[in-house]
Amino acid sequence: MDQLDKLKKEWQSREQELPKVSFNDIYKMLLKKSSSIVKWIFVISIAELLFWIGLHFLIPKENIELMSNMGVGDIMFYSNFIHYTIFAIFIYYFYRNYRSIQVTDNTKMLMRNILKTRKTVKYFVYYNVGMAILVSIVVDIYFYKNSNQLYEAMDFASKGVPQDNFANVFILSQIIVGVVIIGLLVVFYWLIYGILLKRLKGNYIELQKMGD
Amino acid sequence: MNKELEHSFVEQLEANQNIVHKICRLYTHDQDSHNDLFQEITIQLWRAFPKFRGDSKFSTWMYRVALNTAITLYRKSKRRIKTQDFESISFKIKSEEYDDTIELQLKLMYGAVKKLNDIDKALVFLYLEDKSYREISHTLGISEVNARVKMNRAKEKLRKILNP
Repeated sequence: MDQLDKLKKEWQSREQELPKVSFNDIYKMLLKKSSSIVKWIFVISIAELLFWIGLHFLIPKENIELMSNMGVGDIMFYSNFIHYTIFAIFIYYFYRNYRSIQVTDNTKMLMRNILKTRKTVKYFVYYNVGMAILVSIVVDIYFYKNSNQLYEAMDFASKGVPQDNFANVFILSQIIVGVVIIGLLVVFYWLIYGILLKRLKGNYIELQKMGD
Repeated sequence: MNKELEHSFVEQLEANQNIVHKICRLYTHDQDSHNDLFQEITIQLWRAFPKFRGDSKFSTWMYRVALNTAITLYRKSKRRIKTQDFESISFKIKSEEYDDTIELQLKLMYGAVKKLNDIDKALVFLYLEDKSYREISHTLGISEVNARVKMNRAKEKLRKILNP
């Protein structure tokens, strides 16, 4: 196989033809980990959306009937529709951020994209938590104002629940449940996105040092 | 993040980057995927770096990790890389320096090596790098005897590719 041995000889004498990557460029590649962090943000947001949509299928039929008996069925449907549309827009932005971070070689652009991603995630969290608070306040007020209708719709009379204090007790328990759920939501966001954003920030600082 | 560790890693990789470039050339068919693979190998090397204890040379360790990355990545995208752009094989040599027929032979040989499967390619690559069978077996995690047998088979395959 002397042809292979000829190639071997040439192989060694042609090293100078190979491209050279500078110290800084290699260093930058290590910081490209940003791309995988942003990918996780994108993936988790999709998983989250699927989770919420999946949850809708688990809502008992009686609850849906109750909503339409209370006259809020349509409103619920449309507000959900709008909510998930906005959610999907955020996911689209996450994807765009991921793509742009993945393809950029330029430190400045990478830094700008990291900042942009952090901003998008923050808005996403604010939106979701804000929405959860707003919706529970609106629902609670509506139910409180129409407590008689609710009392009838849920057929509490036949279950022996007294009507006197019903509105107050109901609204109090609603508020407690609401606070707990929103609290859990905040903890969840703080844990998942908080960790990812912190890592992104670390990369950002490293990039900044490199630019100095 | 350990800054010193990072610096020492980048320095050593910069000094030994030829190894990675040569692997990239063998396992990819255009500049973009060359760059992609280079970056992927860099990241894998960096991830594996804490486990590098210095009981072997940095370059020896690099061969192992870089080839593993090229092989696994190559496997993943095997279906995508089907056509081989013969012209893209970069063996740019000034025509006055070399005999054209030798040049063509080399080109054909290089093309044949690129056509080998991922493992054989790794073997031939280490052979071209003038590694002993002991080193080859160590890098690829096979026995020395096995390395010799496989190398002979790879040579046989090359012969068949060149003279179908």
